[in-house]
Amino acid sequence: MAGDQKPPNAGGPGDVPSGAGQGWTALSYLIAGMLVWGFIGWLVDGWLDTGGIATGIGIVLGMAGGVILVIRNLGTPK
Amino acid sequence: MFGQSNVLAQGEVNFPPSVEDFYLPSIAPWGAHNNYWFTKITFMVWLAVGILILFFLLTYRKPQLVPTKKQWIAESIYGFVRNNIAVDMIGHQGVRFAPYFTTLFCFVLLTNFFAIVPFFQISPNSHIAFPAFLALISYVLFNWVGIKKHGFGKYFKHALIPPAPWYILPLLIPIEAFSTFLVRPFSLAVRLFANMFAGHMLLLVFTLGGFAMLNANALLAPVSVLSWVMTVALTFLEFLVIVLQAYVFTVLTASYVQGALAEEH
Repeated sequence: MAGDQKPPNAGGPGDVPSGAGQGWTALSYLIAGMLVWGFIGWLVDGWLDTGGIATGIGIVLGMAGGVILVIRNLGTPK
Repeated sequence: MFGQSNVLAQGEVNFPPSVEDFYLPSIAPWGAHNNYWFTKITFMVWLAVGILILFFLLTYRKPQLVPTKKQWIAESIYGFVRNNIAVDMIGHQGVRFAPYFTTLFCFVLLTNFFAIVPFFQISPNSHIAFPAFLALISYVLFNWVGIKKHGFGKYFKHALIPPAPWYILPLLIPIEAFSTFLVRPFSLAVRLFANMFAGHMLLLVFTLGGFAMLNANALLAPVSVLSWVMTVALTFLEFLVIVLQAYVFTVLTASYVQGALAEEH
């Protein structure tokens, strides 16, 4: 194959991922946070018969978790 | 190829279009209904595979130092994916994934592109099965690469345990697990599928809507024309979506591989 010639800018600065991936990751953390803990809250609702309070608490907790994950994983590197 | 033209030839328009319009008559038992072994969709997928294999084989058969036009196109595509996706996202070790990313990019681009090619006019990716399987391949790839690099335990430890104090870990680990191992393949597949499905539906609505209005009342002819002009405009929009979705699918796969290979968070 002829794919072996050197590309003009191979290598580059190295291992820093570009912005697109980070953006999707952040979005998926925020949504996943709400879904996961919302679902757990909903299960607790069904179990304890709390009429939606646990779901609400779960969603808020999940949002907080998602925000923490975004800050921890995608915030300024230490 | 024949589904829509049949409908138009009969002079009766089934408007509004429905999911039924995505299931085209069978080819192998010719014209059979509810038989999905070999349909136009199947044909298009194999055609795309054939075109890609032939194109890259032929253009790279006798590589020239000063490339011919075809070789230049093939090298440009490969160079683009390698430099702007693989190396950009993953770093220098991304070069070894460049062949897969190029294949993925070309396949998604070509199968998407069938959506606006006359007489094809539907993308195989508007059926969830094809994007789902492509996403499955990417899913297996990035997990496999991560497990191979870090070892089973360490890979999952990396993937599931974010750098955070222990007392919020119970809150975070389920989110990490969900977003990494469930949302990723799901969103990859659904993003591509939904874009192609919606694009086809949109074109159907405006094309068939033009006929429906014309049939309903001859005075509505100017509106029909407007509707068909919109179809042409939307076809250009479709082209944008086609290229963008092929690019996004590849970039996200590269980003997941990068995440799996990363040393630390």
